[in-house]
Amino acid sequence: MIVHKAIIPRGDESEIFANSACLVIDDFPNMRTMLAGLLRSCGANSRMIESAANGPEAIAMLGKRRYDIVLCDYNLGTGQNGMQVLEEARHKNLIGPACCWLMVTAEKTTDTVMGTAEAQPDAYLIKPITEGTLMTRIQKIKAKKESLAEIDRAIGARDFLKAIRLCDERVQVDKANAIDLLRIKCDLLVKSGQFDKAKQSYENVLNLSKHEVPWAQIGLAKALMQAKNYEAACELLEPVVDRNRSFLEAYDLLAESYIALGEKGKAEHMLERALSLSSNSHKRQRAMGELSLELGNFERAEQSFRKSVTLAEHSVGKSPDAFFGLAKAVSEKGNPQEALKVLDQLEKKFGGEEVKLRAKAAEGLIHQKNNDPKKAEEVAQELSAMLERTAVKLDSVGTKEMAELMLLTGKRDKGVALLKAEVMNNPEDDDHLESVREIFLKAGLSEEGNAMVEETRREAVESMNAGILLAKSGDYDQAIEKMRKAIEKMPRNVRLLLNTAHIMITKMETNGADLTAIRDVRKHLLSANQIAPNDPRFSSLMSKLEALAATTRG
Amino acid sequence: MADTPRVDAMLFLASSVHDMKNSISVMIGVIKKFLAITPPEEAENYQEMANMLYETQRINGNLIQLLTLYKFSNDIYPFAMEQVDLNEFADAAASHVAPLLNSKNIDLDIDIEEGCLGEFDVDLITGVVVHAMNNAAHYTKDTIRLAAHMVDDALEIRVEDNGRGFPQQMIEEGIAAMRGINFSTGSTGLGLYFSAAVAKMHHSKAEAGSIRLENGGKLGGGCFVMRLP
Repeated sequence: MIVHKAIIPRGDESEIFANSACLVIDDFPNMRTMLAGLLRSCGANSRMIESAANGPEAIAMLGKRRYDIVLCDYNLGTGQNGMQVLEEARHKNLIGPACCWLMVTAEKTTDTVMGTAEAQPDAYLIKPITEGTLMTRIQKIKAKKESLAEIDRAIGARDFLKAIRLCDERVQVDKANAIDLLRIKCDLLVKSGQFDKAKQSYENVLNLSKHEVPWAQIGLAKALMQAKNYEAACELLEPVVDRNRSFLEAYDLLAESYIALGEKGKAEHMLERALSLSSNSHKRQRAMGELSLELGNFERAEQSFRKSVTLAEHSVGKSPDAFFGLAKAVSEKGNPQEALKVLDQLEKKFGGEEVKLRAKAAEGLIHQKNNDPKKAEEVAQELSAMLERTAVKLDSVGTKEMAELMLLTGKRDKGVALLKAEVMNNPEDDDHLESVREIFLKAGLSEEGNAMVEETRREAVESMNAGILLAKSGDYDQAIEKMRKAIEKMPRNVRLLLNTAHIMITKMETNGADLTAIRDVRKHLLSANQIAPNDPRFSSLMSKLEALAATTRG
Repeated sequence: MADTPRVDAMLFLASSVHDMKNSISVMIGVIKKFLAITPPEEAENYQEMANMLYETQRINGNLIQLLTLYKFSNDIYPFAMEQVDLNEFADAAASHVAPLLNSKNIDLDIDIEEGCLGEFDVDLITGVVVHAMNNAAHYTKDTIRLAAHMVDDALEIRVEDNGRGFPQQMIEEGIAAMRGINFSTGSTGLGLYFSAAVAKMHHSKAEAGSIRLENGGKLGGGCFVMRLP
């Protein structure tokens, strides 16, 4: 075949391959040979191509050396699938941002290609793969990664504002990646809490394109949801799922928005539709389980949680929540023995003090629920002993469950102390305070609860403001000392963490940076970001901190 | 309950097709390898192998189309438009038909301006264009032309050949396929129906995509034209 082409072919592309370490992951020996052959004919060095037959083998190899190119089949027989291998490799930091990960699939389905998994490969290749496709895809991915490297680094350091600036700069010179840059920038605007700007950017994309742009539709919906404008998110997404019925992510976001609006029936319908198209997402099954619990449909809650547990078995992203949900559903169905068995399984699968504490609380509540107050009290006693021995603090869900058990079994002081900490950490979150009052109500202590919540809330706000007043008068050292003590009492109070970071940064900006303080500020900022992602103050403080850190490096 | 067995049959059909596709993609790989190491001087072996490749790719193409149509009708095809450099697209599509064209000594003219961009679902459109090129390879004398240009605010992709052109009946079947009717008696029904379905999924806010068959073009033979707004 002689190809006549008007344009001049580009330079020697095989150089990209010649120095690349490649890994082929496929359960069929034939396919491994074929894929390795394909890499060779693209110019890869035979001695630098290795292969693995399954997930564990691949993970072990990825742990030993850095690969530049990974060709991974989606379907790896029993055990992990390709997406779960990628997920684990990312989670364990076995692949850097420069690594090209290509997922090979026999066919394109919503399950294989649009998994809701966080870890997305750089490209999907549909079998049969030709040398030409592989060559152009890898070449393009490499070029894109080089163009985005600096932005990736800024995002890695969580300096979102710098990353946004870099996106603006790059888009001027890099037309080939313009769409990706725009998309990354929009996402960063959401991450840095600039919802209005994000909304505007997404709307621009949607208005200017002559086609529908799914990523911008999803992005806009997420920005609206972050700004708690759930009505607008629904209005946007409802026509989207009617026109594009395979668009699973849109169903999931709609369901989430309906739940936030209290429209559980609509949420149920949406999740049912999404599950009928694809029942293979452990997160979607868990969402259905949780919704079913709330709707009192314990039969379906049990089924959904069981599916979720099975689907997540080989995933690093599996969470104990599905087990807790399952135990609750089974307990509600009046089957305490079965529920306790679920908790046993949970503790075998997940280590860690946090899971043990929460499981203990769940165990007590199961006995309480199934009319065995004596057993419940024993368990509450055990839990108190555990709490005294440990420094571990549970998240809100876990803490509230422990408190509920304590109050229901008559350990009033313990329960109140736990809930007091919850109020200290979230004194300005009305929904949260309401959920604390509800626990008191369940235990028949409504009045006492209301008084405690009000008093604690005031105490928290006062101690948060005390530091600020001192800082305003210019006494940074005393202010910081005061706030350090306050953080000890309310380590998960986001505003306090951010205020403290703010004052410490202001002090350094006036008096000069020091490494210990920079380390402390970073710690405070990262915990705030973990508890409340997308807070606008986080990103501006982080950017200031990075600038200070740069001055200490000289 | 009466519906249940039918649904099961469809599922089996789909999963078996999926399974067969895996085997066939291994077969295609092996045949290509043998073709590459067989010297063309061994004319008879070489020709037979080339035919085998053509037939195997035809089966593969048909299976993909069947499977994809099944997914369309069940809302489980993850349709995704992306920006595509048409020259890169053409190279990739050409690499699918290269062994076949080589074995039959057919030349390929690629006529696409540098920097020409389109927005479409790459996998679907690759499937359609490769299928059209395979057909053209069967009917052409010695040359195929793959061209892409903007015409009236839409991208037109053309696969032309210098064979005897389409009979009138085929051209009408092309029109019928766009209307969703299939009165074909030959083997071409699936391909046209699939191409039309894919074209229609690519719509802008103003216009839906389409396909048509015509005679003439730069090479004077049959032309397959796909219009993507």
